[in-house]
This record gives sequence, structure tokens and C-alpha cells, in this order.
Amino acid sequence: MKTAVKTKIRKTDFHPLLRIFVYLTVLVFTVLTLYPLFWLVISSLKTTTEFQRNMTGLPVNPTINNYPTAWRLAQFDTLFLNSLFFTVASTLLVILFSLMAGFAFAKIRSKATPFLHGSFVIGILLTLQSIMVPLFLMAVATNLYNTRLGVLIPYVGMGMPIGIYLCTEFIKSVPDSVVESARIDGASYLRIFAMIVAPMAKPVAVTLAILNVSGVWNEFMLVNILVSSDALRTLPVGILKFSGPLASDYGRMFAALTIGMVPMVVFYLIFRKQITQGVSAGAVKG
Amino acid sequence: MKRFLTWWTEERRAYLLLVLPGVLVYWAVMAFPTVFSLGLSMTNYNGGVIFGNPNIQFVGLKHYMRMFNDQYFWISLKNNGLIMAVSLFGQIPLGFLFAYVIHRKLIKFGSFFQTTLYLPCVISTIVVGRLWQAFFSPYGPFTKFMQRFQPGWENELAYDPKLAIIPVLFVILWMYTGQYMIIFLANLQKIDPSLIEAARIDGASEWQVLTRIMFPALSGVIVTSAILAIAGSLKSFDLIYAMTSGNPARRTSVLALYMYDTAFKHSPNYPLANSISMFMVLLSFTLIVLVRITEARFGGREE
Repeated sequence: MKTAVKTKIRKTDFHPLLRIFVYLTVLVFTVLTLYPLFWLVISSLKTTTEFQRNMTGLPVNPTINNYPTAWRLAQFDTLFLNSLFFTVASTLLVILFSLMAGFAFAKIRSKATPFLHGSFVIGILLTLQSIMVPLFLMAVATNLYNTRLGVLIPYVGMGMPIGIYLCTEFIKSVPDSVVESARIDGASYLRIFAMIVAPMAKPVAVTLAILNVSGVWNEFMLVNILVSSDALRTLPVGILKFSGPLASDYGRMFAALTIGMVPMVVFYLIFRKQITQGVSAGAVKG
Repeated sequence: MKRFLTWWTEERRAYLLLVLPGVLVYWAVMAFPTVFSLGLSMTNYNGGVIFGNPNIQFVGLKHYMRMFNDQYFWISLKNNGLIMAVSLFGQIPLGFLFAYVIHRKLIKFGSFFQTTLYLPCVISTIVVGRLWQAFFSPYGPFTKFMQRFQPGWENELAYDPKLAIIPVLFVILWMYTGQYMIIFLANLQKIDPSLIEAARIDGASEWQVLTRIMFPALSGVIVTSAILAIAGSLKSFDLIYAMTSGNPARRTSVLALYMYDTAFKHSPNYPLANSISMFMVLLSFTLIVLVRITEARFGGREE
């Protein structure tokens, strides 16, 4: 499919001024993207005194002392572990539940499917804001406020709509004959799911994992309202608390922000292809 | 009993078992709360026991009336409108431009630019918000930059209620343009290259390729992007919460933040907060339906 476009753009295709303008736009936007990130990193290598004297230049005496201090004060090991737990657990559950239900919706005939499947599709349009207050009140009423489970369940629920959508579409594209011949051989539906469908579904599982990991890892609001104890905070919540408006030690604040930024940037650079594909596949929303 | 047993086949059991976990979780944390929120918005509930509390009364649309009479509601709505405008008329056209330039190799190092321009999307909004707050603050590079052109320039972006929204809008453009670039790029790559080649050989100009082949092929994606932009701009919360918390004097508030403040700050007013979220859901649905209608009327050609 991916043959390169052979007819290149010719010099005469666009007015030279237009070309220059386009070049400049792309360049300016790229510089604007990279410079603030660069400024963040070099600022984290300055002491607060140096930062106040020299806010934009390169550090004269670069120091990495801000990092251990910020790590300790913001309790980054707890934050990382919590973020890791919620991200991994919710992603695995979303993938499992979506594949299961997607298989049933796509391959088992039932009168309930249009209604059930439809209820998930509507969910693609719902946002966390519309359910934030009820979720908080429900968490308090069920004693799930300030518990791991109380955060994990909503994360799984919120990942379901797009998961169901993608999995149902994917499993529909598997030929019916695959399922039918296994049925004739006497396999139960659960066995077909475990032995045939789940192993085939790797591409959609990867897409879903990418979407869910980047969503949950960076998610802020839900943990912010459902958790008050330090022991359960995740990275975004902890980072905002540490380097929020009241932070006065700039060096440490920038170090904390850098620590918060690096994992996702590394994740992105490693899985660039998959993320790009996942994003465009997830954009079928609406 | 016998009837039930013949109905209760392996097929039905499997269906139920497969569907149940997902349905239960989803209905518990999304479908039920939505209905719950609608109900709550029409009561006078204000803390304490919810279920079986005799003091909770039905008050109709009272809180909706109150919302419409609140100046902060209108300030927030206006800011959501501005964000939507930046998304629709800033992010989408720029995203398309970048995708086109990279896809047609108008510029060298396309994959470097592609990687870089999408980078902001993967960073946590909290980090982005704090970073840009520092960047635009009196001690940040922006002030330095302005003072180079205008010595003695004073940075009042954080205090002037009229200007404070501008950095926010800029950061929103900065952060999400890459997302649309990626979406357009993926769909440009789906267009059969031989189609473009044939058109060029037949003497079509690049401009004609763009308007006759690419735009029609992408029209569906453009509509999807518009819906994404509308839904996304109504959702915006984290970034503004981290950047300005809605200040100065709540002038950079948005609907989601206005609702959050109503529900979780000072004395909570849950029914009013739920009225706001119901309004947001309705607005989002209405706008998306409008986009669909426009598409059906004017989009026409593509399948």
C-alpha cells in the first residue's frame, strides 16, 4: 500500500512567497515546541539563586541537586508506583473486558446487542465532567472514597466505550467461518474466545493499550477528587501539589516538572509508530 | 423450568458471561451517574446522606435558572467559545497544513517535524500548564523576549482580566495542533498515490490535486476532527486548572472549572454543579448534531 508518491511537487507549483511562508510557519512552530521544553530542563539545572539572576541563559554551574531533593520531597517513588498501578491495571482490564464483550457483540447473535452496544457508543461522547460530582458522591456513599478500587473502577469504566467500539469493529472483520468451524468441532464460545479470538486480537489490543496508557497516566481530575491521602496520589496530582502556585523553590519545581515529563516523552519516542496509529484509530470517535 | 432450560443455552450463557463485566462496570460508573446527575440537578440535596434522605425535595429547574443568572456562567461559556474557535479555526487548519507539507515532502526532515510537533500531546497537561505559567510569568522567557523589543515592558498577563485568557488560548493551540496533524497525515497516506500521480500526468496542478482529490477524500475526517475539537474544547479543564486556576478574578474560568468550583470549593452546591454538567452534555450533543446536519447538507459527495 505504502508506495511513495513519485510525482514530486515542482518548483513552479506554489508561489515562492507562499513556500517561504509555509517553511516559516513550520519552523516557528517547531521552535516554539522545543524551546519551552529546553528552557524547563536547563532551568532545572540551576539553583534558585542562580535562576533568579539568570532566568533564560544556560546554567553557569549546572547542578543536578534539585533532582534528589524534589524526588524526596514530592515522594516521587509513591507517585510513580501509584501511576504505574492504575495505568497497568486499568489497561489490562479494559482490554480484557472490551475483547470479551466485543466478541459477544460481533459473533454471538442476541436481541440485547443493539441496546447494549448502543449504550457504549453514547458513552464515547460522555465526558468525565458530566459524571464527576455523582462519582464523588457515590464513592463516599459506598466507602470507596480514598481507596485504590474507588479510582480503578471508574478508570476501567471510562475506557470501555472506545474499547468496545474498536474491539467490536475488529472482531467483526474476522470471518464468521473461523468461529463456525470451531463450533462444528464442538468448541464452546468461551473456548473460542480464549483460544482463537484473543490471540488474533493483538493489533487492536495494542491500539487500545496505547490509548489507555496515555490517557490514564496523564489523568488528573479523577484522582484529584476521589483521593485525599498522600499514599494514593498519582504523578499529575502530586506534581501539581509540589510545583503548584505556592511553590517558591524554582529549581526544585522545574526538576519535578522535568521528572513528570520524561517518562511519557521516552514512551513516545519508543512507541512513536504505534502511538501515531493508535491516535488516528482512536479518532473515529463521534 | 423446562422452558427456561431450553432457553438457557450454552450460547446465551456465554453471551452473558462475556458481556457482563464490561456492562456492569460501565453502567455503574458512567451510565448510572449520568442519569443520577440529571436527577440531582433538580433537587435541593446539599450534603449528608443521599439515599433515603427525607429532606431532599424536587425543585424543578430552579438551579438551571440560577445558573443562567450567574455572571461566572457567562464568562465561562464565553471562554469555552474562544477555545472552540481556536480549536476549529486554529488547530485544524494548522494541523492540515503541517500534514500536507510533510506528506507531499514540501519540507525536508518530515519525520523529525512530525515527531516534534506531536510531542506536546503526550506530556501531562499538568506539566504543560505549570511550565507555560512559568514561561509567561514575570520571571519567564516571554517577559525577557518582550523587553528586548520594548525596554521596561511590564508583564501584566497574569493580572489583567482582559488579557489573561490569551496565554491559555495560545497553549491550547500549542498543545493539540499535533493531534490533528497526525489524524490528517494518517488519512492522507490512505489516498492511493497512483491517483495523484495520474492526475499530475494529465496536467493537473498541485492546487487542483489539493482541492479536487485531497479535500474531498478528507471531508469525512475533517468532520470527525471538528466533532473532536468541539467535544475537546468543552472538556478543557486540567490545563487551565494548572495554569491559572481560572484567575484573575475567575476571568479565565471555563464551564468545567466553574462546575468544579461550585461542587468542591467553599460551601458545595451539588445540584447547581450538576445543572452545569447537564448543560455541558446538552451543549455538546447539540453542537455535534449541528455538525452532522451541516455535513449531510453540504458535505454530499463522499460516501
